[in-house]
Amino acid sequence: MHCVRKVTDDLYWVGANEHRLHLFENIHPIPRGVSYNSYLLLDEKTVLFDTVDWAGCRQFLENIEYVLDGRPLDYLLINHLEPDHAGSIDEILIRHPETSIISNEKAFMLMHQFGFHIDGEGRDIEVKEGDTFSFGAHNVTFVSAPMVHWPEAMVTLDLTNGVLFSADAFGTFGAIDGHLFADEVPFQEEWLDDARRYLTNIVGKYGPHIQRLLGIAASVLDKIKIVCPLHGPVWRADENLLWFIDKYDKWSKYEPEEKGVLIVYASMYGNTEAAVMALASKLSQRGHNNYKVYDVSSTHVSYLISETFKYSHIVLASVTYNLGVYPPMLDYLHDMKALNLQKRTVAVIENGSWAPKSGDLIEAFLNNEMKEMTVLSGRVTINSSVNESAERELEELADTLVESLGEE
Amino acid sequence: MTFKTGEEHEALRSQIRKFAESEVKPLAFTLDQENGFPEDAVKKLGEMGLLGIPFPVEYGGAGLDQLSYAVAVEELSRVDGGTGVILSAHTSLGSWPIFAYGTEGQKQKYLVPLAKGKKLGAFGLTEQNAGSDAGGTETTAVYDGKDYILNGGKIFITNADKAETYVVFAVTTPGIGTKGISTFIVEKGWKGFTFGDHYDKLGIRSSSTAELIFSDVRVPKENLLGREGEGFRIAMATLDGGRIGIASQALGIAQGAYEAALEYAREREQFGKSIAHQQGISWKLADMATKLRAARLLIYSAAELKEAHEPYGMESAMAKQYASDIALEVTNDALQIFGGTGYLKGMDVERMYRDAKITTIYEGTNEIQRIVIASHIIGKAPKEEVAAKKKAAGAVTGERKKHIIADGTAKEKVAALVDALAKDGFDFTIGIPADTPIMDAERVVSIGKGIGAKENMKIAYDLAKAAGAAIGSSRPVAETLKYLPLGRYVGMSGQKFKGNLYIAVGISGAGQHLKGIKEAGTIVAINNNPNAPIFKNADYGIVGDLFEIAPLLTKALGAEEKKPAPPMVRMKKRTPKKLPPAYKIYICSGCGYEYDKEIGDDEGGIRPGTTYEQLPEEWVCPVCGDDKAQFIEQ
Repeated sequence: MHCVRKVTDDLYWVGANEHRLHLFENIHPIPRGVSYNSYLLLDEKTVLFDTVDWAGCRQFLENIEYVLDGRPLDYLLINHLEPDHAGSIDEILIRHPETSIISNEKAFMLMHQFGFHIDGEGRDIEVKEGDTFSFGAHNVTFVSAPMVHWPEAMVTLDLTNGVLFSADAFGTFGAIDGHLFADEVPFQEEWLDDARRYLTNIVGKYGPHIQRLLGIAASVLDKIKIVCPLHGPVWRADENLLWFIDKYDKWSKYEPEEKGVLIVYASMYGNTEAAVMALASKLSQRGHNNYKVYDVSSTHVSYLISETFKYSHIVLASVTYNLGVYPPMLDYLHDMKALNLQKRTVAVIENGSWAPKSGDLIEAFLNNEMKEMTVLSGRVTINSSVNESAERELEELADTLVESLGEE
Repeated sequence: MTFKTGEEHEALRSQIRKFAESEVKPLAFTLDQENGFPEDAVKKLGEMGLLGIPFPVEYGGAGLDQLSYAVAVEELSRVDGGTGVILSAHTSLGSWPIFAYGTEGQKQKYLVPLAKGKKLGAFGLTEQNAGSDAGGTETTAVYDGKDYILNGGKIFITNADKAETYVVFAVTTPGIGTKGISTFIVEKGWKGFTFGDHYDKLGIRSSSTAELIFSDVRVPKENLLGREGEGFRIAMATLDGGRIGIASQALGIAQGAYEAALEYAREREQFGKSIAHQQGISWKLADMATKLRAARLLIYSAAELKEAHEPYGMESAMAKQYASDIALEVTNDALQIFGGTGYLKGMDVERMYRDAKITTIYEGTNEIQRIVIASHIIGKAPKEEVAAKKKAAGAVTGERKKHIIADGTAKEKVAALVDALAKDGFDFTIGIPADTPIMDAERVVSIGKGIGAKENMKIAYDLAKAAGAAIGSSRPVAETLKYLPLGRYVGMSGQKFKGNLYIAVGISGAGQHLKGIKEAGTIVAINNNPNAPIFKNADYGIVGDLFEIAPLLTKALGAEEKKPAPPMVRMKKRTPKKLPPAYKIYICSGCGYEYDKEIGDDEGGIRPGTTYEQLPEEWVCPVCGDDKAQFIEQ
């Protein structure tokens, strides 16, 4: 059974929803699923904008044939070659030998590498930034979006109706399940966390390149009427989109969304956890309730990364393990570095029964491996469990955090 | 492009020249003789709007460019180098940092009166142990939750004590070198801010130079200039610009000497013609004129770069270094041309010869200027940095004074220790009970195993009482010997001492003990083993037998009853926010690789220190092979 939605009079969403995949990119959990978006334009020529993951191909084919209704498929336009969008290219080309592919040099190189069968007389039409292309009534232009988040990525702007095919930009985790527009779902309330988790974990490292793309978008913002990303709902150019762009701006500048504290702890037998709970209660008693507490061992790191991008302050509490940092905590630190996270204020709590080392190591990592991470003075050292002296230090750390939260 | 100044600059030059000739020149000799300050002239400069030349009109400035400022300093220095430096220190050093880094409030409050010439400004960076190397700064600013408490001193400060507004650098986070330095705006007249005697200088005697002394000066937190930890950067940026001022001063002094020598050479006749026409002298004059022109072009070009917001740090260093070097040569030749006449007091060239010397020394010695220039060309030497980092790792208890008192008899050593502690502000007429919990104690006398038999503990208690301190110990004294309850031993697994004074008696300083006193304000060590680790972790130390030293110290501190101490004020360590790197990082659009000039690209044969701009056009990303043009700025 087909499942399509009209985006405009002659543009259709023909993608697929994914619910059976547990790990996106085989790494990030997606309990709410994800959508693979593809769009089909019926102009004098017919144009398919990107495809879907192989897993959604059957639904996708049904959708396309339903919308084409017997017409040939003239063009397949590829903005982004990652297999969750490009996975069905081969299948389309087999079923539609009449189709030509429009994409850029790097994308064609990758198509060859992935083994897609794109060869054929004049089948590949190479475009570059600034080129325009006409499908009849619709004229489109191409803007390269390198490293958002692959080097070949580009976005396509339909100059006729103001639809921007934004590739992975403005995408999110979460299947859309029959919805199409962001204003049809409680996006700000229920989707923001997944949108942040998607952006920060997938594209977080490339903040400067997102900034570059936002700069270009800002210069043609009045021309953009609808944004069609490759995952999640479609955006109409209204205040919701401006709100979302502002979030993108913050994430890509590595600026926190909120003054608040993210507390992440690594505890083997509950003693470090007890310290963290004591600290949290002290923050709450001081009237600071905008904090979240996570156990690093039982929280997937993609959630931690997302929250780290959200909050201004982080407390890292870790036991010492084999004279090093507890492995899941170390993994989280490495992920933060890999995703280029910066400009946070961090407090450190260490625990060790005979040789506490985790504090020194965490601090050295933050100072030497990451950018603009400010480590607050007053590190708390716990020997096995919180004694009177450590409790005093937690008290002082709560004061230090409150003071730091109040600055600027 | 003509490499000529425009009409407006020449008009300004004649205006200032007229003023300098009529108002400063007649006084120059007297001011030099009497070490006098040209009060009236400075006041008039302010009225003429010349004390705020490069600042915008909305902040009370003249809204003119850097070149105008350079011309003004040059023209004043042409008749009197001392007056020239008054303007330079006021504008470049005292006012510019407030203009560049100040909040709107700070600009309104301080920059406006400075630029309008209602107040004079000065700049305090140099100290006894921090000249070319600002990392040695010892003046401290401790935040007490409300104000910064400033202690320490500055030396060789131009415009002190005439200035009303001082831009002062002090350490807010000790132990992290230049990253722990912050900048403050300090007003003359604040309690605890005093001046030392005027220096009796070789030259520029009409400028006022004195020491700044800070004793518990309360600086409101609104007077922090820029961010905490940003001080070194502010200082360096200020000096980049200040060099243009000093270069202009050197140029002006040399110009004055040259003109005087030229005139004299034309008048003075020997062997039947003016000495100017004697080849030996004419060649001198030719060289002098050439050097002056080269220096002038260097200075004006640096000023124009600064005005255009282009990088100018290297160019201003070249200008300052060259102009001051040739100022020595030109004034020397000028005096030579005057012969014996020039050697006499009252002759301008005699004064100029002396005035010129300072310009190769201050605002960064010319040796430092060459380091600055070389670092722009070659990049920083990477190896030395590594060595410095290793050194910084050092002691468990962090940066300490490690002053081991070695001279004299035991009694003299103890007296020297008590003196040093008193100088640091410890008051031994007050005290706390010996059983004050370690965590709450402002002072602790801590005893090690070396105390021997239990009855010897009296020595420790006596010393604790005399020092007004609580009693503590090392772990074995409590755990094995059981002389004190377990709650009184200090160390990683015991109590942590975070008060102001820790006196370790007979404690060798095992790692676990030292971890318990990391945050102690001052650590004193008394031990008979000179190699004991405690000495590397202490501020003061006496090598000696505790049974000899402790009783002497008890006596020296005074065994009388102590007055109860007020509640402890613990000085909290401030955490400066991390600053972004001072330079740009470039990111490859083909893969996300980051080019960092401090690292370079070893594989591609690019040495550390090579800026992105300096990378050869054929250089490609070492990871994905995309070309240089594909990189974007972070």
